[in-house]
Amino acid sequence: MRIDVLLSTIILVSFLVTILMAVGSYVAYKLREARRPRSEPVTANGESQYFERIRPDDA
Amino acid sequence: MIPLIDGDSIALQVGVALVLTFLVVLIVRYILLLWLGYLHHIEGRGRALDRTPEPPVTIVVPVFNEESVIIGALRSLLVLRYPSIEIIVVDDGSTDRTRERVAGLEGRYGDTTLRLVSKANGGKASALNTGIALARHDFIVCMDGDSRLDPDAISAAMQHFADPRVGAVAGNVKVVNRTGVWTRLQALEYLEGLNMARRAQGFLRVVNIIPGPIGIFRRDVLRRAGGYDTDTFAEDADLTLKVLTDGWHVAYEQRAIAYTEAPERFIDLVKQRYRWTRGILQALRKRRGWLVSPQRGPLIWLSLVTMLFEAVVWPVMNVVGNVTFALVALSAGAASGVFYWWVLLTMLDVAAALYAVGIEGEALGLVPFAVLYRFFFIAMIDVAKLFATVEEIARVRMTWGKLERAGRI
Repeated sequence: MRIDVLLSTIILVSFLVTILMAVGSYVAYKLREARRPRSEPVTANGESQYFERIRPDDA
Repeated sequence: MIPLIDGDSIALQVGVALVLTFLVVLIVRYILLLWLGYLHHIEGRGRALDRTPEPPVTIVVPVFNEESVIIGALRSLLVLRYPSIEIIVVDDGSTDRTRERVAGLEGRYGDTTLRLVSKANGGKASALNTGIALARHDFIVCMDGDSRLDPDAISAAMQHFADPRVGAVAGNVKVVNRTGVWTRLQALEYLEGLNMARRAQGFLRVVNIIPGPIGIFRRDVLRRAGGYDTDTFAEDADLTLKVLTDGWHVAYEQRAIAYTEAPERFIDLVKQRYRWTRGILQALRKRRGWLVSPQRGPLIWLSLVTMLFEAVVWPVMNVVGNVTFALVALSAGAASGVFYWWVLLTMLDVAAALYAVGIEGEALGLVPFAVLYRFFFIAMIDVAKLFATVEEIARVRMTWGKLERAGRI
């Protein structure tokens, strides 16, 4: 196989794999973000167990 | 060498097809694990521990005959950099001096309290359930009595709970007793095998095994799940699947480190992996409905399928792929091919080891062990997994069996 054909093939395959991985990552992220627990957690006194993260601006 | 297989024979063509399939799966698996793991890594980069709220937590420590390691484990909890901790040690009917040793540490240490609860022997799952039932706080850390936590482990894990969909966080388990070839190989396996897969799953928040040495849960999630079931030999995997299939996100935190004592004898290592494999298959069997219904939740389905793949399919492919290649190469009179095959796979393993060591800031001294990794260490582990799979399918009876500890915690 000629070297220019070999390099062109490597570049094309790498490019296609990169595009596939980028699209796959985006789809996976969207699926992750869309997933919700079936049950909402509550504590004995009815307050949420969730807590807010303190951002640097709030401190 | 005289070729044993005709160059045009069907046997040779099937062999070549098997080997190519194995190679493609190997490379695709590595690419996916490295890529998703890298996405998880950059997503978590820059999260500062000192900005995370720190609600009180309860740590449940189930113990059964841990007299050689329990003091080290509990001392690591008393120096955690976390403000308010309740430690409940559940003695599951120990017959050695574990209870006396823990009793000697009972008391209050600033904002940390440590108490001992004793019960009749009922297994690790029942000991954990006892601790969960007694826990006073809304977040529960479950760990093993033979593990030691990093001082920042809890702080690092808690930041994930800022997202209300996260029900549990899996920590990062490392081998503490790197004293010989076996344990160093296991240290590398934890980095290159177990943690790499967990990191990739962490990006999708579908970690399918929260490891026994460190798992952090919302108490409410544990209670809704009914705690740990006692009908499998991998109660940690079983509980994780319960949490996952209830829709909760299960995250992975690399900085939530637990150090564990790996088996130092080969026979103990094989016993451990045999039990893990059978336990995982038992947990999967309980959720076989999910395995055949991807529409119920694509990511959960993917997580379960990869669990089955890693536990059964991949070990079979590893053994069959390598043996087939050797047979085909030798039969076709290409003995040198076996050497190049080994070089190719070892280069891949060394590259993966460098990545895993680099991303966790681990010792470079583990990388050379990648040379022994696939064809010797993983081959033996895979054979143990194959026997475990066959015996699980045949429903051969098994018992827990306690691992011998060297007391290096």
